[in-house]
Amino acid sequence: MPATLSRKAAIVGIGATEFSKDSGRTEMQLACEAVKAALEDAGLKGADIDGMATFSMDNNWENEILRQVGGKELKFFSRTEFGGGAACGPFVHAATAIASGLCDTVVIYRALNERSGLRFGSGQLMDTSPLNPNMINFSHYFPFGFMTPAAWIAFSARRYMHEYGATSEDFGRVAVSMRDFAATNPNAFFYEKPITLEDHQTSRMIADPLRLYDCCQESDGAVAFVVTSAEKAKDLQQTPALIASARQSIVKDTRMMTPFYGETISGIPEFDACAAEVYSMAGLNPDDIDMACLYDHFSPWVLPQLEAFGFCDQGEAKDYVRDGHINRGGKLPVNTHGGQLGEAYIHGMNGIAEAVRQIRGTSVNQVENVNHVLVTAGTGVPTGAAILERG
Amino acid sequence: MSELSAAELLEKVKPLLNRRVGPYKSFNPVSRTQVWQWCTAMGDNNPLYQQDDKVIAPPTMMQMWTMRDAQGNYPEGSSTDNPYEILSIMEEHGYAGVMAVSYDQTFHRYLEEGDQVHHYSTIVNITDEKSTAVGKGFFVTEIAHFLDQNEECFAEATITYFQYQAPKRPAAPKSSSGPMKINRVAPIENYDNEHYWEGLRQGKLLIQRCTSCGTLRHPPQPMCECCQSTEWDTIESTGKGTVYTFTVMHYPEIPPFDYPNAIVLVDLEEGVRLVSQLENCKPEDIEIGMAVEMEIKEVQEGMSLPIFKPAQ
Amino acid sequence: MSEIKNVYASQISVGDELPVFVLDLTPRVIVSCAIASQDFQDVHHDKAAAEEKGTPDIFMNILSTNGFVGRYLTDWAGPGSRIKNIKFNLGAPNFPGDTMTMTGTVQEINDDNGEHLATVEFKGKNGMGNHVSGSAILQLAKEGE
Repeated sequence: MPATLSRKAAIVGIGATEFSKDSGRTEMQLACEAVKAALEDAGLKGADIDGMATFSMDNNWENEILRQVGGKELKFFSRTEFGGGAACGPFVHAATAIASGLCDTVVIYRALNERSGLRFGSGQLMDTSPLNPNMINFSHYFPFGFMTPAAWIAFSARRYMHEYGATSEDFGRVAVSMRDFAATNPNAFFYEKPITLEDHQTSRMIADPLRLYDCCQESDGAVAFVVTSAEKAKDLQQTPALIASARQSIVKDTRMMTPFYGETISGIPEFDACAAEVYSMAGLNPDDIDMACLYDHFSPWVLPQLEAFGFCDQGEAKDYVRDGHINRGGKLPVNTHGGQLGEAYIHGMNGIAEAVRQIRGTSVNQVENVNHVLVTAGTGVPTGAAILERG
Repeated sequence: MSELSAAELLEKVKPLLNRRVGPYKSFNPVSRTQVWQWCTAMGDNNPLYQQDDKVIAPPTMMQMWTMRDAQGNYPEGSSTDNPYEILSIMEEHGYAGVMAVSYDQTFHRYLEEGDQVHHYSTIVNITDEKSTAVGKGFFVTEIAHFLDQNEECFAEATITYFQYQAPKRPAAPKSSSGPMKINRVAPIENYDNEHYWEGLRQGKLLIQRCTSCGTLRHPPQPMCECCQSTEWDTIESTGKGTVYTFTVMHYPEIPPFDYPNAIVLVDLEEGVRLVSQLENCKPEDIEIGMAVEMEIKEVQEGMSLPIFKPAQ
Repeated sequence: MSEIKNVYASQISVGDELPVFVLDLTPRVIVSCAIASQDFQDVHHDKAAAEEKGTPDIFMNILSTNGFVGRYLTDWAGPGSRIKNIKFNLGAPNFPGDTMTMTGTVQEINDDNGEHLATVEFKGKNGMGNHVSGSAILQLAKEGE
């Protein structure tokens, strides 16, 4: 058991740009602005950074950011592959590097002009030239026009409905709940724009059974974090969000966005595999979790996450959602910032920032007495999860 | 080109909104000649428009009657106001591209020979600056009313334009070759999978089989996940199977595919799964478990794919 | 060419598909339609001018697209029909050498004070994607009139 990682590091700074459909500046500038804001939030300077971690998909080089935010030297830097599945990996890496003494203070960032630049949902997802190694996988799908994330996720959503009796309305309830939180979050793109279940049911079909409101937004923006040792965190200005546990996960049937070949495809085998250890590493169980920030690129996949992490039994997430447990005031409020359906699509990093605000008690949709928050990275891809704890 | 921000430009043109300008008149009354010319060009053989004793004009000619002449002039008596002043101002400020993006037309009466047309135009809305595939710009909405000699409105239209700043890119290559054609994305072939694509070109759906332990696998990969052997051959699939799951893609419409596009994950009877399209089946008739069969089709030059349809 | 016949409400049901119409986009079609619609903009008849403006060739003007949509609808619905409304979105331009394939489906059939109204969804697709897609409301001919 890699208990050496637990509670050795803490998130002490968060920063973000505004979230928009057209940032009007480069991803590099967005990244620098978010990192600068995170450093200010932590009360640290660029020169205090000695590590960096981000997504392989991020287009901004560590050296460029280091120089611009006033840094001196990095002893550690790492990247995590697989799109939104990388949302927790950088925290695993940062906590490991800090716990092992490799470095002291790691900046984590993700900046993207996903709406004004290359839109993942457009069907022109990526470079389709033979030089792109992703194309070996996608060659079995693109020639049929099967080339949008919504359509890939629809395969699993359909099986989930078939196997457990969930309905499009259940997916809609997730979307309505996220939009309700977004409606009271001034930083959310859908601030003051809640939707009803009827709005969801009449929204246009994207890839049956996924409707428009089941799909996350496409956004421009950046989010950054400062992670340092639990020891050092005690002397800083913010309430530390300790990394109580953090874990990455790939299993035999994991594929890149196209997990179609396992015995079942309705669940999330990566979370089934890692959930027990995410809890045991932290010495916690599902009852200890006060709220969760679950990756919501598409509403259907919020349901099996509730099951994998033990908030309800397999196939019963539809009932959990129908009972309103994930809503405002519910047993386990989920994505109180509005999620990627309501706030912005920053590859899950805005969800982790909300988890930190909940730990600090500074969320605009604050849940009472938050001590532990579960956060997850993307589904349908190699992924990860973490539990943050009030330090 | 002056350096106004998008917001400043909007402020500048907004006072021009909701100003009804016109009339813009027609040079000629509705005539047999112009109707005939329209119908012959469009190949429209609707006898309604070609009666011996009566001339009725196709309703879609609506906008044509008040078009400017070949010299770019409106007939005398027309308003001298530029109906598209907002677009012209935007053009002066660097938003030089314009394209119509949508039409919504209502026809109250079909015109007949002798009717005399004029129209009025009102720009009713302009959005904030938006980014699109062609560049940044503003969606501008015009409402046009088309009236006859009795001032009765025979047709009206809401037309939305996109007035945009084209991103700087080299001019399109001059070519005398055929039109642009968007093809399906071609698969990448390498040592691990070329047998599969070549098999399809030869009309066979081949499934990889480990020659050490006999396990079948798809999609192709170099090593058997059961026994780690890299020795393999293939068997030919019958192409028969059942639908394990499916989706029907509606949006976005990606060329060159027809929409809605039904995609199925098929459990082949040999025991492996395969993604493909389902044809000859209404979207509402697709269900999990339905029997399907495959036909290998050359969907474009050099690309053959296994395409499924409901089993006979 | 075959005679254009009226379609009556009793003969159709929701989901019916209109006959497919394939239009060869010859320069003659594009230029003659531009002139017939009194649109003298050079990009619709002068290849060199079109290239100067950044497009690879001349292309069909919107009034012609409108005309072909109208033709497609009444080729099906017949001379006794009347088009009440057409709305559409415009997409990939129609360039010479390409073809536009028009398809349509009956979406709704309604009775409005004794008039039979059919709502038809239609699409005109060329080699680059949808040139035009939208819906129209047609008042159908009545049997015996």
